[in-house]
Amino acid sequence: MTEKQLIYLYCVTDREPELKETEGLVDNLYFVCNNGLYAVAGKVEDEEFGQEGLKQNMADFEWVKAKASMHERIIELVMANIDVIPFKFGTLFNTDASLKAMLGQYGQEFKAILRKLAYKQEWGLKIYCNPEKLKASLGNGDSEILKIEDEIKSSSVGKAFFLKKKKDELIEKTLNEKINECGQESFELLKELSFEAHINRLLLKEVTERDDDMILNSAFLVGKDEVGDFHNMVDTLRMHYEGKGLLIDFTGPWPPYNFCGLSSGKGQNE
Amino acid sequence: MNSAVVKSKDVTLLEILDRVLDKGVIISGDVVISVADVDLIYLGLKVLLSSVETMEKLRGSPFASPMQEAK
Repeated sequence: MTEKQLIYLYCVTDREPELKETEGLVDNLYFVCNNGLYAVAGKVEDEEFGQEGLKQNMADFEWVKAKASMHERIIELVMANIDVIPFKFGTLFNTDASLKAMLGQYGQEFKAILRKLAYKQEWGLKIYCNPEKLKASLGNGDSEILKIEDEIKSSSVGKAFFLKKKKDELIEKTLNEKINECGQESFELLKELSFEAHINRLLLKEVTERDDDMILNSAFLVGKDEVGDFHNMVDTLRMHYEGKGLLIDFTGPWPPYNFCGLSSGKGQNE
Repeated sequence: MNSAVVKSKDVTLLEILDRVLDKGVIISGDVVISVADVDLIYLGLKVLLSSVETMEKLRGSPFASPMQEAK
């Protein structure tokens, strides 16, 4: 049986990457250089990552978990010393020559992206909402709701029924307003402190495996000198919202996955 | 690296998959693969995970055991 190997691309940089630290993490990690750019890649088995193998492996939870985590760790190690352009999971080449050709083809764009990324970091912010807790926190503060509650107490059974319905609708409306306000306000305030910011798709509860709903999934490209201010703002938002059923998940620094879109549109992130 | 910035340790698998599978530069390499949405992958994996037992039963499992000892 022939054991064909493929070349798995992790990231591209414009300075020679130090791969010593990645030793022991993965076999056969190396880089190729062309056009002033370096591509950090590793050899993988065609059986595992070729079209057929990959299709099967993507359905294996443990495999995906291990390989996706590895992808992330390798890029993180490289980016400890230099700026990187991270590639999407499973970008594969047959030969070093075609990988080098790719560096030539996209050279100008990669260099432009790296210039943009210099001295910056990607940070992620997700906000989750526990509707029950948020509802509970509304009741105490919203004057309109308190007013209806008072009215209900002094009303006949029939009138109280309709007032309760009205109250529920009002709560629902206020809830949505609060959620939008929290998501929008947090995003806008943090965007002010960033070079670029993105709102990403919300992930389903089935995917997040949390009881709370995701109400914001966002990413920010922050200058290294502004990271301190950025953290302070996140802390402020936390103090303001937590305890009211709104939870802030703040992570980073990440490889700049969200800020490497190719301008030409070919293969652009959706 | 800036020592003031320490990556929080409790980054979940979800956070990694949300980026690694969904974002990053997309170019077509030599091998064209289609990695589905993270939603689909994640849901697919879990549906599959929960139905592994069912599948084993259906298959009559003469060789279903080698890869499924982890549990």
